Amino acid sequence: MTELKSAVLYEYLTKVRAIGIFYLIQYSIVALIFAIVAICTEGKETGSNALEFSSVVFVSVIGVLGYKEDFKALLQNGYTRKYIFGATVCMFTLLAGTLALIDTIIGNSLHYFNDNYFTLYGGIYGYGNVFANWLWLTALYLMFCSLFYLAVLVINRVGKTVSLLIGVVVCSIILLVIALFQFVFPDELVSKTWEFMMKAMGFMGDGTTNLFFPVLSFLVIGVVFGIGSYAVIRRTELR
Amino acid sequence: MNAIQIKNITKRYKDVTALDDVSFAFEFGKIYGFLGRNGAGKTTLINIIANRIFADQGEILIDGIPAKENMGVHEKIFCMSEADLYDRDLKVKDHFKWTNRFYTDFDLKKAFELSEKFNLDTNKRFKALSKGYQSIFKLIIALSLNVPYVIFDEPVLGLDANHRELFYSLLLKEFENNERTLIIATHLIEEVSNIIEEVVLIDKGKILVQETVEELLEKGYSVSGAAQEVDRYCAGRNVIGYDELGGLKVAYVLGERTVLPQESNLQITAMNLQKLFVKMTEKGVGEND
Repeated sequence: MTELKSAVLYEYLTKVRAIGIFYLIQYSIVALIFAIVAICTEGKETGSNALEFSSVVFVSVIGVLGYKEDFKALLQNGYTRKYIFGATVCMFTLLAGTLALIDTIIGNSLHYFNDNYFTLYGGIYGYGNVFANWLWLTALYLMFCSLFYLAVLVINRVGKTVSLLIGVVVCSIILLVIALFQFVFPDELVSKTWEFMMKAMGFMGDGTTNLFFPVLSFLVIGVVFGIGSYAVIRRTELR
Repeated sequence: MNAIQIKNITKRYKDVTALDDVSFAFEFGKIYGFLGRNGAGKTTLINIIANRIFADQGEILIDGIPAKENMGVHEKIFCMSEADLYDRDLKVKDHFKWTNRFYTDFDLKKAFELSEKFNLDTNKRFKALSKGYQSIFKLIIALSLNVPYVIFDEPVLGLDANHRELFYSLLLKEFENNERTLIIATHLIEEVSNIIEEVVLIDKGKILVQETVEELLEKGYSVSGAAQEVDRYCAGRNVIGYDELGGLKVAYVLGERTVLPQESNLQITAMNLQKLFVKMTEKGVGEND
């Protein structure tokens, strides 16, 4: 366990500097935009909302780096793929939690001082539950980390050409499914699928909102990506 | 058994066989020279031992423990690799501190002392180091780790003569103070010939020779003299190669030395390790045996 703890700390603490730089750049730009827009609109508009989207991009990059840099470094230090995967999952969780905490605090504070600013979570579920906001964002970031971790592992395993082909096939399937739902499937099936998806996002049929369901949905998707990642990494060789 | 046992290892890349049913052992408490030409299979085997790539067949045991995907061998072996696997943005001193956390027996104080000896600036980031100093950094980590098996893959790549000398002397001192197995995979055979006890020679994915340096050098000798006389002497003998300069010819022969007749103008001398290596891998000693 000592080895795993060291690997988790290595993966997490070597990203802290990147987190700092990311927020410094992001909020410098946001502050500038806020200032310009506030001057132009006499404080009526904020100029940007849902800054969590940039964190989604950031965690996706971390998902890629989680493989590219750390895999090599930990392999050099005698770690097995099982330990590396475990450490990476722990790092993603810690990182997602940290970013979600910062975004929740800053987003809700901005909204508190200026009603015109909307957070990603607040825009969908409202501002009643800060803890649910943090949990939701953590699960969302974790899901994106896992998705991009899986993507980079697959790209590394199969090569660029096959990866591009897989990308084209996945996009085609998505377009096909959309077309099927729009033009082919019976209305009842479409409506039940839509209802299921809305429930998965927490919007119940009776008009109430279940804040636990979307978190669970993100986690389930994240676990599926995670299982896929483990299946790939356990046979991944150093290149 | 206290050794790295390599059992029937085969590794193929598409239609190229990088390692072909390789079996031998690196025993505990020796300094090995792991020699082979480019593409002979040295780094492939080292990467399999270090669990960086997988063998298609066979297994590696370290002190009897399977090395594949097993944290049980984490404190037993360290491979200093030619490739840069370290985080390029981290400072040298931070790498030392992390290695100290990864391994239970890393001598942090020694790592900083060796850095001073090599004039390595520990405040520099890995990416800011020259190729030579990147090698030095990796050497220092390997020398400061107290594990029973240390593999150096091309350890002196980019090092100047002074640093190479310093490394070899530190390596010997290290071996004297703390007996363990040191495996040096290198092309610079003459430089390590005075350090290594045993040679493992790999060529085209197969082990050609595993013998002590003394035994290996006794296996062969060179005969020089007039070309015709050398040819006459070599008839029926296991000649692994020739060098010619004008009318003078040198033949490299495997087998027991025979006493030359008194009237002979030929000269018999011992072969050096590098020459033996070059001649063996030029032709492949297996073809002669």
